[in-house]
Amino acid sequence: MAVEHNKNSERPVAEKGEHIIARHLIDDDAIKEEKNLVIDGVDVSGRWNTFIETRVDSEFDRSFFDEIQKTVVGSRINRCWQCGMCTASCTVTPLYRRFNPRAFIYMMQLGNLKLLKKYTDVAWRCVGCYKCSQRCPKQVNPAEMMEALALLIKKYFPEEIKSNHQLTIDEEVKKIYEGMILGHGRLDLANLHTSAMRKMGKTTELMSDKDERGAIFKMMKDGRALSVLRLGKPHKWHKSKDAIDNYLRHTGTLEQEK
Amino acid sequence: MAENILVIGGGPAGLHAAIELAELGVNVSLVERDTFFGGNPKKFKYKYLFPDLQPAENVIGELIKGAESNNNIKKYLSANIESFKEDGKKFSAVIKSSTGSETKTFDSVIVATGFEHFDPAKDSKYSYQLFDDVIDIKDLERMMGEGNFTRPSNGKPPKNVAIILCVGSRDRHVGNQYCSRVCCTVSVKQAIELKEHFPETEVYIFYMDIRTYGFYEDLYWKAMEEHDVQIVKGRVAEITSGPDNTVICKGEDTLLRGPFEIPFDMVVLASGMEGGPQSPEMADKLGIELDEHGFLKQANVTLSPFKSNKDGIFLAGACTGPKAIADAILEGGAAAMDAYIYAKKNS
Repeated sequence: MAVEHNKNSERPVAEKGEHIIARHLIDDDAIKEEKNLVIDGVDVSGRWNTFIETRVDSEFDRSFFDEIQKTVVGSRINRCWQCGMCTASCTVTPLYRRFNPRAFIYMMQLGNLKLLKKYTDVAWRCVGCYKCSQRCPKQVNPAEMMEALALLIKKYFPEEIKSNHQLTIDEEVKKIYEGMILGHGRLDLANLHTSAMRKMGKTTELMSDKDERGAIFKMMKDGRALSVLRLGKPHKWHKSKDAIDNYLRHTGTLEQEK
Repeated sequence: MAENILVIGGGPAGLHAAIELAELGVNVSLVERDTFFGGNPKKFKYKYLFPDLQPAENVIGELIKGAESNNNIKKYLSANIESFKEDGKKFSAVIKSSTGSETKTFDSVIVATGFEHFDPAKDSKYSYQLFDDVIDIKDLERMMGEGNFTRPSNGKPPKNVAIILCVGSRDRHVGNQYCSRVCCTVSVKQAIELKEHFPETEVYIFYMDIRTYGFYEDLYWKAMEEHDVQIVKGRVAEITSGPDNTVICKGEDTLLRGPFEIPFDMVVLASGMEGGPQSPEMADKLGIELDEHGFLKQANVTLSPFKSNKDGIFLAGACTGPKAIADAILEGGAAAMDAYIYAKKNS
């Protein structure tokens, strides 16, 4: 069967799937329709070649479940019984109703990638408040499960993330972040804040705002500014530092191999 | 010579065991820690029992009457077992009560020390004891027993009531992994009672599963079909204060996939059952084993559920796990038979 796309035909065709009754019930990407198509020399352009992909799931993809279970953050995926306590506790769900930890865990359990793909825009929005993990009656640890989800989405739908949501790692922020952790063993929020401001080109705002200036002056006066500078390092920090260093170098090589 | 058997605990199981043994001509010593017989049903003034909504008095009252009128039963109230030791195949116990201490020898022992209601204050997300209108099933049972169906905060009829299942049960977070078996049926029963008293009140049951097993299912169907009780799938994760003296239940409707925050006039927590402090105390005193859930351990859950791991000591009722009053009474009779056989063989 010879299929050729009839590029030259200027025949006017309907909008995609326009003639389908109850069109609103069918997802756009489930409709397969070529505007201009010739099969075995017969021109079937337009509605004649319309196909609707089946809306029935024909398998549960358990390999996906196994993959999640092997990760440290997703190891408890088999515990979830879908009570909804996590979504009910969630800080993010009231803001983004489509961010639903319980539903995401279920999709991961059944390996429903087709459905997960629709949530690449919200799937990474967990803020890590851990309210869900604290309340989960089965101790699934949904907060870390969301981390597993984010890793997964990054792995399976890298294009979606790049093209639609500009979720690329900011190398500069990464450098500041790693420098802080390795140098001091803790985060310096003031430093992160100022570097972010600087990055956005808001250098003048940094010092111009009355409140901000006032705050800095106040902190100088009561000695808090000094104590921030004198910030100590965690006990036996060099050992932890070596381990983190090692890990970062290790992941670096891993990424290069890929 | 008649056998001597010690029954510890004067609830439904203990009372029934004592009466059955007394009928066989056994000298029974019935030891109760409270000032009255009847156990938790009496203590919390249960009014009607499922599944047939018969007055609790018909059941508990009959058992108490039966025990009190039987001269073969020596009754000890406000009493406890001060010391306990094995004496060959027999047992020697010191019973301390308001009338003083008494040392007695027994051929066998039945432990029927029952359960404690889970205290929802242990699980802070439900805000129990923080808001007047958040109560649990034992509170509602007692209120209904006193003929009071109104809101604790203002004494007015509630416009809507939320009943939350699985509080303190099936939850690793609070340490109780088991299902308490009766709370679903009790809650459905209470929903019907509420609707019968206030037909205008909307009653919602928040569930993960509704476990009204066996014929108790009839009651659950009745609640929906005759009283328009609405069930909503999803466990409530937080209770906060709402406008106009309401309390807000925050949860997820897992069927429609979405969070809800709905104000209610009254919230009833279906708190489960626990082994209570008496179970480890008995295990320690009598030298028997506790199970991993904090109840007394049965020798073989299928073959010999009324035996403890120690010969001559038998178990009945909710001390071995959550169960309905009907089951506790049934076990009282079964343990009485086991204890009688042991006593007969060794006396």
